[in-house]
Order: sequence, then C-alpha cells, then structure tokens
Amino acid sequence: MEDYLQPILNGILFGGLYAAVGVGLSMIFGIVKQVNLAHGDLMIVASYLTMILISGMSFLTPWTALILVIPAMFLVGFLIQKYLLNRFLGLGMEPPLIVAFGLSIIIQNGLLVLFSPDARLLETPLAIMSFRITDLLYIPVIHLVACMVGVALIILLHFFLSKTFLGRAIRAASDDENAAQLMGIDTRNIYAWAMGIAIASAAVAGTLVGTTSIFYPHTGPQYLIIAFGVIIIGGVGSMAGTLLGGLVLGLSQLLGGKIFGPGYQLLSGYIILLVLLAIRPQGLLGRARRAG
Amino acid sequence: MTNIRKIRMALLVLVGLVLGSVSIFGDQYTKLLLMLAFLYMALGQFWNLLGGYAGLVSLGQQIFIGLGGYTLAVTVLYYGFPIWLGVLTGGVVAVLFALVISPAIFRMSGVYFSIGTWVVAESLAIWFSNWEYVEMGQGLFIKPAKQLSVSQLYYLAMLVGVGSVALVYWVMRSKLGLALMAMRNDPGASETCGVSVFRNKLYCYLISSFCTGLTAGVLYLNMVFIQPYKAFGIDWTVALVFIAIIGGIGTIEGPIIGAVIYVLLQQYLSDYASVSMLALGVVAIIIMLIVPKGIMGTIQEKLGFEILSPRRYL
Repeated sequence: MEDYLQPILNGILFGGLYAAVGVGLSMIFGIVKQVNLAHGDLMIVASYLTMILISGMSFLTPWTALILVIPAMFLVGFLIQKYLLNRFLGLGMEPPLIVAFGLSIIIQNGLLVLFSPDARLLETPLAIMSFRITDLLYIPVIHLVACMVGVALIILLHFFLSKTFLGRAIRAASDDENAAQLMGIDTRNIYAWAMGIAIASAAVAGTLVGTTSIFYPHTGPQYLIIAFGVIIIGGVGSMAGTLLGGLVLGLSQLLGGKIFGPGYQLLSGYIILLVLLAIRPQGLLGRARRAG
Repeated sequence: MTNIRKIRMALLVLVGLVLGSVSIFGDQYTKLLLMLAFLYMALGQFWNLLGGYAGLVSLGQQIFIGLGGYTLAVTVLYYGFPIWLGVLTGGVVAVLFALVISPAIFRMSGVYFSIGTWVVAESLAIWFSNWEYVEMGQGLFIKPAKQLSVSQLYYLAMLVGVGSVALVYWVMRSKLGLALMAMRNDPGASETCGVSVFRNKLYCYLISSFCTGLTAGVLYLNMVFIQPYKAFGIDWTVALVFIAIIGGIGTIEGPIIGAVIYVLLQQYLSDYASVSMLALGVVAIIIMLIVPKGIMGTIQEKLGFEILSPRRYL
C-alpha cells in the first residue's frame, strides 16, 4: 500500500494541472459551442513564446514571462475567434471543427519549421526541489506549484464568469444568444472575448506543462486529448467538474503507470476516458444538454 | 438526357483505358504517383462515406489503416500467408475491430464521436508500441512485399481506387444510400419514417472500416515498413479530411480531385514535409472560407455538371 501513496499524490497534483489544461477548451465548448481542436497547440505556442522571451531577456523566469505571454495569447485567441471562427457560427459542428483542425496542423508544422523537432523544457530551479514527508513520500515542488496555479486559475475564472459584467455577458450569450442580443450584447464580440480568455488560460497551462515536462512542436494534440478527457469526465462548462475531471484523469494515469508499467501511463488514462465516454457521454457531473 | 449519359459513359471508358495503359507507356515515377493517388482516393472515399454522407466525422480512420497494415505484416511474416490473403485478412480484422468498438463509440455523437475515434487510435498506437509480438516501437519490415513489381502494385492500386468509386456509387444508389441522404438532411424526420439511424450508420462504418483496412494493406505493400506511431498516427486522417474537403465533402468526385491535388502537393514539396502539411492546413481553411463545398461541390452547384451522380433520372 505504501508503494501506492506516491503515485496517488502525484496523480492528485497532476489533476490540478490537467484541470488547467482543460478549462479553456471547456469554456469555449460550453459558450460558443465550437470545438477548438487547436487548443493544445496554442498551449504549446505559449510554451515556445515563453522560451524565446526567457532566452532573449535573461532577467525573466517562466513565471514572470507570463506577464507578457498572457496578453499576447489573449490577443491571438481574440483574433482567431473574431476573424476566423466567428464566420462559421450557426453552420453546425463540422465546419469550425475542420477549420480548427487546419489551424492545429498549421501551428504544429509552423513550430517545426521555426524551432526544429528538438525536445524543449522551460527550466526553473523549482524543478529539482521536493518536500520530504516520509522516506517513501516526497512532494515534488514543481508539481505542487503547477497544481496550485491550476486550481487558482479555475477559481479565478469562476469568479470572473459569475461576478463581473463581462463574465455575465459571456454566460448570457451562451445561455440564449437571441435574448442576449436583445439586451444589447454584441454576441460575436463576446465570443471573441471568451476565446481570448480561454487562450490566455491555455497560455498559463502552456507554461505549467512546459516547466513540468518536455515538449515538442507535436505535443499539442496530446494535451488536447487530456483537455477533452477533462471535459468528458467533468461535463461542459462546470468548474467543479473540470477539477474532478482533471483529478480522475491524473489519478488514472499515474496509478495505471504504477500497475502496468510506465509505458502504459497514457494508455490507462485513455481507457478510463473511453469507458466513461461510452457510459456517460454527457460527463459525470454534466446534465443532458438541450438539442441545438 | 440519354445523350449526356452516353457522353459520360464514353468519357469514363476513355479515362479507364488511358489509366489502364499507363503501365505500358508511363515511366516508373508516373506509375508511383498515380498509384498513390488511387490509394489516397480510395481512403478519401471511405472517409467521405462516413463524414460526408453518414454525418460521422471520424478522426480515427488510422485505426483501420494501422490494423490493415499490421495484419498484413503479421500474417505474411509470421504465418507465411500469401500476400493477397494477408491484405484481405487486414480488411477482416479491421471490420471485426470496428464491430467490437461500435457499441461504445456509437453512443457518442457529433464531436464526441470524432474525439472518441481519435482516442481509440492513440490507444492502439501506445498498445502496439509496447507489444513485443509486433516488435514494439521498432516496427516490422514486410519483406515478401518486395517481390511485387511496380506494375503489379499499380494495377492493384487501380483496382482498389476504381473499386472504391464503384462501391461508394453503388452504396449511394442503394436503399442504404437513400436512407443516408435522408438522415443527413433531417435525422428526426427520417427516423419517424422508419429509417433506422443507428443500423444504417453502423453499416456505413463497417463498410468503411473493411475497405480502409484493405486499402491500407495495399498501401503498405508499397511502403514495406510499418511502425506503430506512423501507422496509427493522426497524419493519415489529416490527409483524408483535406482530400475530402478540398475536393468537396459529400460528393463522389470530390475525393478523386482531392487525392490528385494532395499527391501532387506532397511530391512537389517532398523536400519540405512540414511545409507541405502547413500548406495543406492553409488551403483547407481557405477552401472552408471561400468555397465550403469544395472544388467539385461548387462546380456541381454552379454548372449543374456531375460525372458520377448517384441521382436518379426520370
């Protein structure tokens, strides 16, 4: 049993990180009803952006670089929604899905051309630190930080959506587009803001995954699947669900890796995901959604 | 009307004769290009059958490509199957796997189906790269395939390509095709009229998986080397989606023109693989913005010109 404490602890810490990975995708899926297949790739763009900033300005760390990376990625998300994905509103799921798929391919191969296929890591002194609890149990500091930042991000987004005017406008546009328009809300602009915020959250997630594990130009889809897992397990648009989703996925990966060997870590996460997808397509906490 | 049909038939026969004689007049390079075009066209047709006609946007066709390729490799290498039987077994294994996963993945609809199929493919990639039986991540070398000449491969690919068009044409002319088009236009209304949505989608999925597995076998006879992350990689589906989108989703001619463009683009930019993928992404987005029906879909709409229409004439 003692053997399992470490993977369980790590799984919980991964859970907070995964929730941060999924929250932006969940927001857009819930609010705009579009699936941003480029979500994972945009995360990795933020990781590379941080990398360039740090190498250019040596006084920056991955954490302080966020001051520049978050607004930059917000702008990217805003523009993508405003000038590209908004053109496909009301045309069903497939056209925006395919456009985002195209975007994902462009980003991956663009990164490959710019940065070569080498593995990268955002270096920070936190990566080698750990708290000792017992001889068999350590808390890796970097994962603790990642988990806490992830949870903080989700709480922040929750308050933003429930307390601020813009947040309420976003939710109004999501609940009933026509009624929101009658109340004087420019829903298309609101969607662009929502995407900007979602991609800003992806930027934070990108920094977190960049400091905790290595990344390549093609790493994006791997995190897209994790983000999807989080949504599928937790349901769309629910913040508590997003945290739960991250937790289930993190734990199933780490425990699966412990039981079946490290090669099967990702696989056990995927299998849990598929089983849940087949049993409860609307998620563990999600309600059945209205058609349309 | 009969005149147009005669001209159309004559045109098709002419195209068939030209393509059939390429192995006599054409050089090695032309044969290889056309062979790839035939195979990608077939794979595009079977993606289109799901995505364009049955409303099942699959991001997991590489499941069947990988299974078809690996079955060929394993049966030919380990059990000494003749090549044709290995290819056929690939199709059978693909369709059996589709049957096994169908109860689960058909509970997912729309986007969930797309992601579900993709996750299945990723899972298989990890499974095969950890499976000693298939040499794990190292991959397998399908040595017996080397004995085939380029002309033999060309005719095999042509058979698969022409067969795929004929099959999809036949499916769309059949009761299943009518049901699919009814479902695509209004799933609720067609179900009320007695169309079993689930069963028809399942038939489509099974046909598509069998043929994709089979086509992949022929493709791997040419590629000779198979590796899990390539065989079950999302790049296959990227290619197929773009072939169908560029040519025209939900048309039979679409994947033909799409495959030709894809193969040419890939060859011209073969020294810059990532640039050619990047170009594909850009082209696909532009097509979605300007002509969402694709090249053939738009031509059909504007000129009313269809070579292979499943439409019935009175």
